[in-house]
Amino acid sequence: MQRRMRGRGVAASWYGIARTATVDRAGAWAELDDGGTAKVVTGVTEIGEGILTVLAQIAAEELGIRPEDVTIGDNDTARSPEAAHAGATRQTYMIGNSVALACREARARLFAEIAAHWEVDAGALVAFDGELRAQGTNLAMTMAEAVDLCKRRGVVPVGAGHFTAHGTGLNPEDGSGAPWQAYVFGTQVAEVEVDTVTGEVQVLGLWAAHDVGRVINPRGVEGQIEGGVVQGLGQALMEDYQTANGHPVTHGFAKYILPTALDVPEITSILVEDRDPLSPLGAKGIGEPALVPTAPAIINAIHDAVGVRIRSLPATPEKVLAAIAEKQAREAAAAKAAE
Amino acid sequence: MPEMKLEMQVNGRKVMRLADPGQRLLDFLRDELNLTGTKEGCGAGECGTCSVFVDGKLVKSCLMPVAKAQGAEIQTVEGLAKPGELEAIQKAFHKTGASQCGYCIPGMVMAATSVLREAPEASLDEIKERMGGNICRCTGYSKIIEAVALARDVVTGRASPAVLEPETVGESYIGHNVRRLDAPSKVTGRLKYAGDMVMPDMAHMAVLRSPHAHAEIVSIDTSEAEAMAGVACVITAADVPGTDGFGVFVHDQPVMARGKVRHVGEAVAAVAAEDAATARRALTKIKVEYRDLPGLFDPEDALKPGAPVIHDYAPDNMVKHIPIRKGDIEAGFAAADLILEEAFSTQQVEHAYLEPEAGIAYVDHDDVVTVISPSQNITHHRHMLAGILALPINKVRFIMSPVGGGFGGKEDMIYQGMLALAAMKTHRPVRLVFTREESIAASAKRHPSRVTYRMGLTRDGRITAIRFEMLSDGGAYGMSSEGVMRKAAILSCGPYEIENLWIDTRAVYTNNTPSGAFRTFGGMQAQFATESMMDIAAERLGLDPFEIRRRNMMRAGSLTHTQQRLTSASIDRVLEAAEQASRWEPGAPTMRGPMRGDLGGPGTRAPCTLGARFETPKDSKERVA
Repeated sequence: MQRRMRGRGVAASWYGIARTATVDRAGAWAELDDGGTAKVVTGVTEIGEGILTVLAQIAAEELGIRPEDVTIGDNDTARSPEAAHAGATRQTYMIGNSVALACREARARLFAEIAAHWEVDAGALVAFDGELRAQGTNLAMTMAEAVDLCKRRGVVPVGAGHFTAHGTGLNPEDGSGAPWQAYVFGTQVAEVEVDTVTGEVQVLGLWAAHDVGRVINPRGVEGQIEGGVVQGLGQALMEDYQTANGHPVTHGFAKYILPTALDVPEITSILVEDRDPLSPLGAKGIGEPALVPTAPAIINAIHDAVGVRIRSLPATPEKVLAAIAEKQAREAAAAKAAE
Repeated sequence: MPEMKLEMQVNGRKVMRLADPGQRLLDFLRDELNLTGTKEGCGAGECGTCSVFVDGKLVKSCLMPVAKAQGAEIQTVEGLAKPGELEAIQKAFHKTGASQCGYCIPGMVMAATSVLREAPEASLDEIKERMGGNICRCTGYSKIIEAVALARDVVTGRASPAVLEPETVGESYIGHNVRRLDAPSKVTGRLKYAGDMVMPDMAHMAVLRSPHAHAEIVSIDTSEAEAMAGVACVITAADVPGTDGFGVFVHDQPVMARGKVRHVGEAVAAVAAEDAATARRALTKIKVEYRDLPGLFDPEDALKPGAPVIHDYAPDNMVKHIPIRKGDIEAGFAAADLILEEAFSTQQVEHAYLEPEAGIAYVDHDDVVTVISPSQNITHHRHMLAGILALPINKVRFIMSPVGGGFGGKEDMIYQGMLALAAMKTHRPVRLVFTREESIAASAKRHPSRVTYRMGLTRDGRITAIRFEMLSDGGAYGMSSEGVMRKAAILSCGPYEIENLWIDTRAVYTNNTPSGAFRTFGGMQAQFATESMMDIAAERLGLDPFEIRRRNMMRAGSLTHTQQRLTSASIDRVLEAAEQASRWEPGAPTMRGPMRGDLGGPGTRAPCTLGARFETPKDSKERVA
């Protein structure tokens, strides 16, 4: 066997969006504000996934303004409607749709006033990037002017929205049920190099194809995939929290080994859009699904490279070397028996 | 505390303070100068979040006593650009989307600045090596490296500064690369996480943690600690006025240990004091008498008759068992041409978010008990804390501070109760910031799993039956175990339509560090086993791995493992997309690597061989070894 052996592996996966086997719900408030800006109050803040930018994009699109014109209120149980937890790959799906619906209500209030002022049908109004116009006419104004006019007519353009995902509980006997209304699927291919002298595995390339329903922010989705893949890589190859009789022995980053910039493969993300028919936006989610297929794709690639099957994570250099030695001993014994 | 006159230049301004010379430069910057852009991630020089320049050299400020910086010129992330402006490297982070939670980002920006100053012609490999001392848990580093390369090109004149400008919008903001709105506050260190926040008259909390895995608490004597100068209060389980219990599914965990401890690192008591050092000293004065109990450290042992009982309500140590049954498993295996039996295991995994747990609690003018923390579920936490404090729900308020990485690890209310109790007892704001060691010992981990798998297939690769059994170590408390077992069971057998299934997932109590929510919530552990099985089956049957997956995949109209009828299933599309993008060469997975023709092409990097480069880049001031 050569010192450095390469191989490839694939793994597929699936995942459900929002809370599991229960009715999930979230709410949001919106107001088209002075100067053609907007306030959105959601009960969400950033845990790093980019939700604030996603919500600003959604609000901007629905209200006809720019994302930077949107102010998002902080997550506060005493000041904002229930958004519940920042997890379960539910933020874009649950809060995103709540914000879209709240914004639509605020927009409808504004459009009704402007349509009456212009004496056109409200259905003819379109707004985008701070400009409002009536299709089929030359009528146009800025959103700042529209909000001002709406308020002078005595109407504050506010809206509220909530979104429901109808999951059902599982039957306690046979587990039957419809735990989610939206599913996503993913497939990843990993290319690895195994050093047969040290047992070290490097992941050189990773192709990740994921259905996200509808892409709100392409770079944001890629960032979620890249982060998920590297967490999956850590679990596949190095991370291992250990205790001895209940005492943690990997109690710092010197003992608990994490991937660094040097461990990262080139990652190619392929975003597939199978729109969700049950929600206004059609977007689903990517946070958790991104890392599901990574470890098995890497482990399958190790098998492709050196012919050993790692069944116990992580595939540390010690385990890979032991598996190669065991394989060689097995093959030698078989060759001897055949003589 | 000894004090010394410390003088240095910080971000171009002369600074003079009488302060403890033994404190870390990190503490001096954060606590004395309120420069909180410099973060603490580990306190041991491992993660790089505290990186600053000292006399032009990149230094981990958690490793440097402030006295060593006497007379030095210090530059922190706040000093890189003028207020309201961004340096090229910061603009590049903004442009590429290199910041996610943002907690590691000030350190990353400093390390990247060091690259641009010392090796402006650095290759991608050199950039990665120079950034290798900084840990990020969110981004997978890809967009950070992209940002450094982009800034390098602008700084060296190879690219126009225009590449740092935002993309212009087309017909819609949906699908557009809007730059992250929170990025400027993260690349400049201006964003305040809970541990960066201060309030007037704020007290500091430290927590006494169990040194035992399983022990009865015979007595706790806090009198000596309470009498100490500078101590505002000491709290134990006896201070809880309401129903003491929290958990994502079962409320089996007290705010602090009640009657017994169930894992090493469990909170037993807490002190609030004038400063963190006094609080920590007071912990040593709390006398706890323990009586050791037999411990459980293996999930298989937890199920044995006569095993020690961890929680009285669960005499069998079972947190949750989820069964799923579909079709006729016997008939399915009888119809199989090939039956595979395998066993798999996965390890416990730490979330390792760079922001350790932190929070501030106070009682406001309307007697509302308010907790500011990076909680991933303020809605549920408010419910639980109201019960614990015996308060009406509108007298409890949770504010979610920016979360410096969560991944499920901040869904458990493991410290907010202590903060609330201390704030109520003292009527002062109280802040707690975990050390890295505390965070690792006290917070939940990804469930380790053991899976036994039996799969039947026909000769042409159709799965006829699966028997899937998973046992997980839930650790000392229930946390998210129930939900994790449910999701693991539902997703277990992968994106395939299988007529005959028999699935059991079980989580049990032990005296190990609790397991809880972690990105994928059990889905990863289960599907690791299934996707390994698919390749083992493909090898035995001589099928291409994509082909065997296609022969079994779900389609519109398929019945899932829980017998839900799917209206659509995009698995065919993602299989095809991955196959095409990777230029996959078809064939059975029989150690094909040495013969493959699709290796090493576009989409791969060169392997990393550390220490192999000895060249010195042109015009570099630094000698690279």
